[in-house]
Amino acid sequence: MNVRPARVDDLMGMQACNLQNLPENYTMKYYLYHALTWPSLSYVAEDEKGRIVGYILAKMEEDTAENEEPHGHVTSISVLRSYRRLGLAKKLMVQSQESMAAIYKASYVSLHVRKSNRAALGLYRDTLGFSVHDIEKKYCASVSQLSSPIPVPPILHPLRCRRQQLKLITDASVSTTDADGEDAYAMRLKLNP
Amino acid sequence: MPPALAAPSKRALPLKEAGLFREVLTLYETRQLKKGLKAADTILKKFPEHGETLCMRGLILTHMGRREEGIEHVKKGVRFDLTSHIVWHVFGLIQKGQKNYEEALKSYTQALRFDKDNINILRDAAHLQTQLRQYEHLVETRHTLLQLRPSLRQNWMALAVAYHLNGNLADAKKNVPDYDFEQSETLLYHVRLLEELGETSDALALLDVNAKSRVIVDRVSIMEIRARLISKLGMTDEAEQAWRTLIQHNPDGLDYYRGLLRCKGIDLEALTDSTRAEALHILRELSEQFPRADKPTRLSLTVAEGDEFTELARAYILRGLTKGVPSLFADVKSLYASPSKQSTIESIVDGFRTTLADGGSLSADAASGSAAAREAPTTYLWTLYFLAQHHSARGAHVHALELLDTALVHTPTLPELHTFRGRVLKRAGDPYGAARALDAARLLDGQDRFLNTKSAKYRLRAGEIEEAQEVFGMFTKKDAASPGADLEDMQSLLYLTEEGNAHRRNGKLNLALKKYHAIQKVFAEIEDDQFDFHGYSIRKFIINSYIDMVEWEDRLRSHPSYISTALSASRIYVSVHDDPTIATACTSSGTLHLPSIRLSVLTLPRHPGTLTESEKKAKKKASKKAAQKLADDVKKAASSTGSDDKGLDVPTPKDDDPDGIKLLTGPEPLERAWKFLLPLTTLAKDNIDVWIAVYDVAVRRGKYLQAARALKHAKKLDEQHPELHVRLLHFRKAHAALTSPLPEPPMHNTCNSTPLLLLRSSLAARGLHVLERPREEVEDAVFGVLNPGVELTVPTALEVFALLKELGSSRADEFRAACDASFQLATVFKTQEEMAAVKKVVALGVQDMEKEVVE
Repeated sequence: MNVRPARVDDLMGMQACNLQNLPENYTMKYYLYHALTWPSLSYVAEDEKGRIVGYILAKMEEDTAENEEPHGHVTSISVLRSYRRLGLAKKLMVQSQESMAAIYKASYVSLHVRKSNRAALGLYRDTLGFSVHDIEKKYCASVSQLSSPIPVPPILHPLRCRRQQLKLITDASVSTTDADGEDAYAMRLKLNP
Repeated sequence: MPPALAAPSKRALPLKEAGLFREVLTLYETRQLKKGLKAADTILKKFPEHGETLCMRGLILTHMGRREEGIEHVKKGVRFDLTSHIVWHVFGLIQKGQKNYEEALKSYTQALRFDKDNINILRDAAHLQTQLRQYEHLVETRHTLLQLRPSLRQNWMALAVAYHLNGNLADAKKNVPDYDFEQSETLLYHVRLLEELGETSDALALLDVNAKSRVIVDRVSIMEIRARLISKLGMTDEAEQAWRTLIQHNPDGLDYYRGLLRCKGIDLEALTDSTRAEALHILRELSEQFPRADKPTRLSLTVAEGDEFTELARAYILRGLTKGVPSLFADVKSLYASPSKQSTIESIVDGFRTTLADGGSLSADAASGSAAAREAPTTYLWTLYFLAQHHSARGAHVHALELLDTALVHTPTLPELHTFRGRVLKRAGDPYGAARALDAARLLDGQDRFLNTKSAKYRLRAGEIEEAQEVFGMFTKKDAASPGADLEDMQSLLYLTEEGNAHRRNGKLNLALKKYHAIQKVFAEIEDDQFDFHGYSIRKFIINSYIDMVEWEDRLRSHPSYISTALSASRIYVSVHDDPTIATACTSSGTLHLPSIRLSVLTLPRHPGTLTESEKKAKKKASKKAAQKLADDVKKAASSTGSDDKGLDVPTPKDDDPDGIKLLTGPEPLERAWKFLLPLTTLAKDNIDVWIAVYDVAVRRGKYLQAARALKHAKKLDEQHPELHVRLLHFRKAHAALTSPLPEPPMHNTCNSTPLLLLRSSLAARGLHVLERPREEVEDAVFGVLNPGVELTVPTALEVFALLKELGSSRADEFRAACDASFQLATVFKTQEEMAAVKKVVALGVQDMEKEVVE
């Protein structure tokens, strides 16, 4: 399989791959948002016919506190079942992480996984070397209200971001209105500078 | 009646109200909607005809969700003060919220007439011009903005991008802000411009300087661009080094290997004996250097021949089988383009199977009798899996199933074996058995959405639509109206396409159209998604991917899902046009078979000139209504943030046609078909089916010139295409019926005389049908497909069967029985009673499995 940086042309293939594999899905605008904000962090694996068989959709965390180090975040990663056992997930992850560190000086990379998703948990912990940093209770259930007088439309959340429209008014705001309230692991992996 | 131009004096308010009006503006800006409304009301109490206040009140009301009332106010406000930039600006905002970008731009242009230097209005206008691809005007607007604020770096970038989109790269280059090189992305954009302008050495120099000084930070981009540039410049040694560095960084990047080989003078598509040897040498070295990468080894298989191929293939396949790589067959299948490679692979893997079945070992040291070299039992399993795929691909479905059965006895719990068993059955014409095999696979791993999606898809292929929804529903959102509604929201083209097609095959054309229109809507949404980025990307100075996006949006509808569903929808509309009873039959109840397009019964439309005035008016009105409907469809709900502000975007209207009855029975089916097809005439020019569909619609709309052109395009693509043949006959007939002279159609010189290939006799039959030959002659032609020596496939046989039924042939059942006998695995040619019996048996098996899972 061919592993290479994702282009805008790949986004629909990535969306199709995501819908076939994972329960957390996103509308095209969220993919566009990634590709047009962090153009070098997402990667794809394609077969000989150019079909996307695996991808990593990644970003830099926007919601960091004043003194916090910049860090990357994996919004979504998956490989079609029929293309497993080739180590593609690891290859995709490694490429993305190197770019996070080189371009944005990311010190670590985070991701979220639902507690019940045992298969994914195994991949992140055993294959990719992530460890559980925190448990977020009912991760998606909260609606964060912003105090700013100008209401900031929600930017889609990595986990469950359905039926929401993304507005590009500010670049750093996250709130979710849509949830099924399952606990999730917040996982981290330290990056070498 | 609108009043005459309002005198400007009417606009001037007394001091107190003027202050209040300024407050309204501020309150709106900060979205203090209720207060703003109150202030506006105070002004209007004294000056009920103050246009600007009316507009602001309308704008605020719209934000508060009182949309109709709000828009009424805005329109009234505009009428009272036609020369105010505020009223036009507000009107433009409203239209933009309705996604009516053309009209919004008109309003903004009006606003600019009365306040030409208003930066907010200019910027909004620029976004609209970009969305509408009015690049010349965009350049002007960006120019004005730059003149007004030359100190703002983003204005320079915005002008550069405008020039770029307008195809003027040289001016784009001049305007890339060059006094601030801090931004890595800006520089990468500059390098791209130089590269596209062919100024390769300048591009390289700019890249090198800024890479060295670490101003450009994107290391992969630097390496990729650099390798490309120096290859173009013919700096062979350096290029080789650059490609090797890239391979080191990512040993699975195919382009890097291609680049390396190319700069060594090796073209993988045109190998000679000497380049072949050299390529193999390079690839062998690389695979030793990067043992974890599959790419160099796999490329060697493409390159190598003879004994060398056998040796490499053996090792590669053995490694895949031992590791249990499910995609191994899909990976090597492209090598089958060479028959000798295909037979080599077959004998290698068959050899493995024999050895393993006897309990032998495959590793090299097995010969020395080492007992440690026993194979894991899974290797045998994956070997059988590979062979089943191999044999199914060459049409030996029975053999494939035997291999799978052996494997399933060995290990009944590997989902892949069931998935592939389903695929074989599907290929052999048993969609029902296939769906059950996928059920079995899914039940083995209920947490896997991949198996879930596949299983639901196979149910749809078997026409089990409700049953498919049940399966989909295991992974869709629980509070969605239905699993399908959730998948539609998530823009699942796979779901929409498959369910649309399933409805079509079940004869529920209204529901099929519903799904096809939903796909059209998804594409409209994605087209609309770009709007916000016109401003965002320039503010962020991330231009390369923005330009890529604009170009990608322009060819969005070349996506296979759009093409296939546009063609299907168009065919339905054409058949409904030809025979409106189809629509009534669908909407009453029960199922029926969709007849293929009935060229013979086509009543030629009158020449457009013969329409009466009232007919024309009615037609115009109907098409306008359809356009409005479509526009309404496209509108999407704005998300509610819980505050009073509902935004300006139009909320999704309630679906008043959930079953697609209006789509199917509404007026102007051909106009709707044409809307589906129009983008394809530029985006899928090389697809002959597109031109056939364009012909079918055009000729019925009385657009004979367009019809003739479509045939010309089709002829250029494939003169022998059977569908084209039928259309040429049809056009000749239509042509003869015309009164006004038209250009000669591109005639097919073989249409009556030359016998068509046997395989295509079903279509020949349709041709005969068009020519109104006796039914017996048509039937004889059809039964030609059953002659020995014709490689009839299940789908073709189904098409022929449908044709016979369409003709009302008494020999249809004879044909069905003949097919049932010759396709031994197929169930699609069974009678209903036979089918019911089959279903019972298979369903019992799955029930047992389900029970086991529950226990």
